[in-house]
Amino acid sequence: MEYLRLVEELAERASGGDGEAEVIIMHSRTTMVRVNAGEVLEMSAADSKGVGVRAIKGGRMGYAYTSDFEPPTLDLTLSSAAALADSSDPDEFRALPGMERDLVENQDLEVFDPELSERSPEDKVAFILAAERAALDHDPRVVATSYCSYHDHTTRMFLANSHGFAGSHESTGVVAYLRAVARDDSGQAAGLGLGCSIFYRDLEAELVGCEAAGKAVQLLGGRPVKTQRAPVIMDPFAGVEFLSFVANALTAESIQRGRSFLMGKLGEKIASARVNLVDDGRLVRGFGSAPFDGEGVPTARTSLVAGGALEQLLYDTYTARRDGTASTGNAQRSSYRGLPYPAPTNLYLLPSSRRVDELISSVDTGLYVTSTMNTGGINPVNGDYSVGASGLWVEKGEFVGPVTGVTVAGNMLEMLHNVADVADDLRFIPISDSIGAPTMLVQGMTIGGT
Amino acid sequence: MDTDRMIGDEVARRVLTAALSHGGDLAEIYVEDRCTTNLSLEDSKVEEAVRGTDRGAGVRVFYGSLSTYAHTDDLSGRSLQAVARNAALAAQGANRVQVLDFSRAQSGLEFPIEKPFEAMEAQEKSQLLRDLDQEARRFDPRVVQVQARYSEDRRRIRIWNSEGRHAEDERNLIQLSVIAMAQEGDLVQRGVGMIGGQLGLELLDRVDPLAEAREAAASAVKMLDARPAPAGEMPVVMNNGWGGVLFHEACGHALEADFINQGVSVFTGRVGEQVASPLITLVDDATLPERRGSYRFDDDGTPSQHTLLIENGVLREYMWDMAQARRANRHPTGNGRRQSFRYLPMPRMTNTFIKAGESDPEDIVRSVQRGLYVKMLGGGQADTARGDFVFSVSEGYLIEDGRLTAPIRGASLIGNGPEVLKEIEMVGHDLELDKGLGQCSKGQQVPVSVGQPTLLIPRITVGGTSEIP
Repeated sequence: MEYLRLVEELAERASGGDGEAEVIIMHSRTTMVRVNAGEVLEMSAADSKGVGVRAIKGGRMGYAYTSDFEPPTLDLTLSSAAALADSSDPDEFRALPGMERDLVENQDLEVFDPELSERSPEDKVAFILAAERAALDHDPRVVATSYCSYHDHTTRMFLANSHGFAGSHESTGVVAYLRAVARDDSGQAAGLGLGCSIFYRDLEAELVGCEAAGKAVQLLGGRPVKTQRAPVIMDPFAGVEFLSFVANALTAESIQRGRSFLMGKLGEKIASARVNLVDDGRLVRGFGSAPFDGEGVPTARTSLVAGGALEQLLYDTYTARRDGTASTGNAQRSSYRGLPYPAPTNLYLLPSSRRVDELISSVDTGLYVTSTMNTGGINPVNGDYSVGASGLWVEKGEFVGPVTGVTVAGNMLEMLHNVADVADDLRFIPISDSIGAPTMLVQGMTIGGT
Repeated sequence: MDTDRMIGDEVARRVLTAALSHGGDLAEIYVEDRCTTNLSLEDSKVEEAVRGTDRGAGVRVFYGSLSTYAHTDDLSGRSLQAVARNAALAAQGANRVQVLDFSRAQSGLEFPIEKPFEAMEAQEKSQLLRDLDQEARRFDPRVVQVQARYSEDRRRIRIWNSEGRHAEDERNLIQLSVIAMAQEGDLVQRGVGMIGGQLGLELLDRVDPLAEAREAAASAVKMLDARPAPAGEMPVVMNNGWGGVLFHEACGHALEADFINQGVSVFTGRVGEQVASPLITLVDDATLPERRGSYRFDDDGTPSQHTLLIENGVLREYMWDMAQARRANRHPTGNGRRQSFRYLPMPRMTNTFIKAGESDPEDIVRSVQRGLYVKMLGGGQADTARGDFVFSVSEGYLIEDGRLTAPIRGASLIGNGPEVLKEIEMVGHDLELDKGLGQCSKGQQVPVSVGQPTLLIPRITVGGTSEIP
């Protein structure tokens, strides 16, 4: 049976007349190739599909899923969801979205690459080997790579609920990355290169390899600097890592559960005037774009922080009802095996028109960070932020030498207030969520070194 | 649910033949059928009730040093043939092997379930969580939040490979955990209680779950009175049981064969050498009844075993899965494990513990003039290859003149696992394994147990807070 018809029929049956139900089918195909030193180490291909049923009755919710589409198993899954709902406790805010908003149809989000399915495994192997080759050929000091891999996915989602919503959506994504290892008399250094796109043809192997190699080589001979307070310039990789913690603090769930340093700050100024944060579920070619979210609510462009003021949170239906507001279309589903939860679609810091070199030349003494490592120094509740970092030291607006083995620390709320400038080079790094940042300058951070 | 819809010998033979159609040294099919239920409570409400079945298969082809893998959650013949073709793609060689006749491997191990998970309705299990919540809150008015979680996991696997291996296993895991938060002023402290293991609902008859709720509450409340921890080098006594997690992270991983083969482990090439104090014997044993890390066959289909890793301080053996053993021309030790059919196996620990010594645990504490007694470790991080670690102490006490005195908070232990192993001066006779909640993450999650007797580490850096008492 066609999947859209199937989810509609199951949702109708699962509601049992007096309850609400939602049914999702997700079908994904993924491939992965991992190489090292010119040889394929591992290849995998996966075909995954399953159905998840959410039943809500009197504010009690149950969820059941299966990957078996045979009718007896589907029946059992429907009755499991209902039985689990009976065993949970009622919560007046637990409900499915109504049909008060219409879907915006016929908007091409450009998130599906019809050519991806025509690419052979040999093409993908050749692609990632070329990326590794580019890294090794970029500079004689690049001696090896690690984590050199190619990933792609094609995902189809079918969703229906007992209020009459039914929709489907398909998307693709291609990601390649590698770590280049460079060595000279001074020791060893590593750098990450990343390429990602919705469309296979837009990905360039040479760019991925050269990015990794360039970063590794420029860190050779890096040393810690003295412990001091100084401005930090975060490149998009470092900025996205920082923003991923801010994004988590911006979900209504974190705030309602008391796990966010932004608790009680809605409507207040939480950042400098340079900070404008947007979540856009309709971003053309965005990794997190879709016409509707994981509960069937239309996605939207939501201004979260404007001119430094916290205007809005990321809501799904449940957290929105708890706050007496409307869902922002941020219910996410990572697979058919789990409940929806509020999370970003495509969340990014708006860029300015300033070039990166202008931003760097405005700094008298500071650290340009190209790589950060989370060592467990993040406290989401009080906002304390401390990560391992490496990059380049800046004196009088010029790079003067590599820095490794330092920590950069601050408090996330203070860091947001201390964002003095942003550049024009917005880049999305969709490692877990689709988050983007331009290069940004943060004043007054503590750099921990010798 | 009905598991006889998993595949049998004939389908397995056809899939393996297709997987080897482009060449290859060995092909394998791994089939899994799993049913899990998770119930969780917070704010005194059972909020999430999720049940799922995961059924699927993965096909692996070895070709020289390359392995290719494809998996699906559709067990129809057509889908499995497609998976076999995908797995065959990378192997392109003249090497042709035949699929040998299957012979079902037998195991003498039994992990009997007295009371299956179905013997209790979901509603009763939810009620148990509500009872735990009430019991913890009743213990002390300062208990302000309780999180309780119940989970059951029944996993059946079947493995066939082209060398004629056919192994089947069933693993049943149950877990119940309570986290209590106690608050006084701005200070919030956590306490944890847990029970679990490889058994059925009989666990709930054997131990009183409510006692775990009281334990969690008591520990959280006790820590409200804790003093900031002292900082600096000092002797540390680690109590028996969960403390073994430190050695799991900071020594065990470095004994896994993938780190050994890559040459990045501190233990590479050191079999036969004295690597630890002569008091230390470290074991990995997947054959123990009722333990989370136990099984009859690992996820390569190799029988499980008791492996002596370090004997009286001398390094004896590493932990091998099939892929790493083939690469190094060694025998697998039954340590090949995977999170599910969606992953390739890799060398992993099972139930890993330091064997009992001869000292009386009370004598160990009495031997310390001034130091730290670690009752419970919290989260930690370790560099798995080198063994450098930082662990937080979630429940600890000062030792003064050979006696436990004030509870302390904010302490962490900083050191290097292999170095600590060399320095251990006393080993108690009170070996205990953890209470059944161990989950190890190395890219993939697998259930494990850890354990140790009471130990004396004569010197270790304790990172305290800046406020030194």
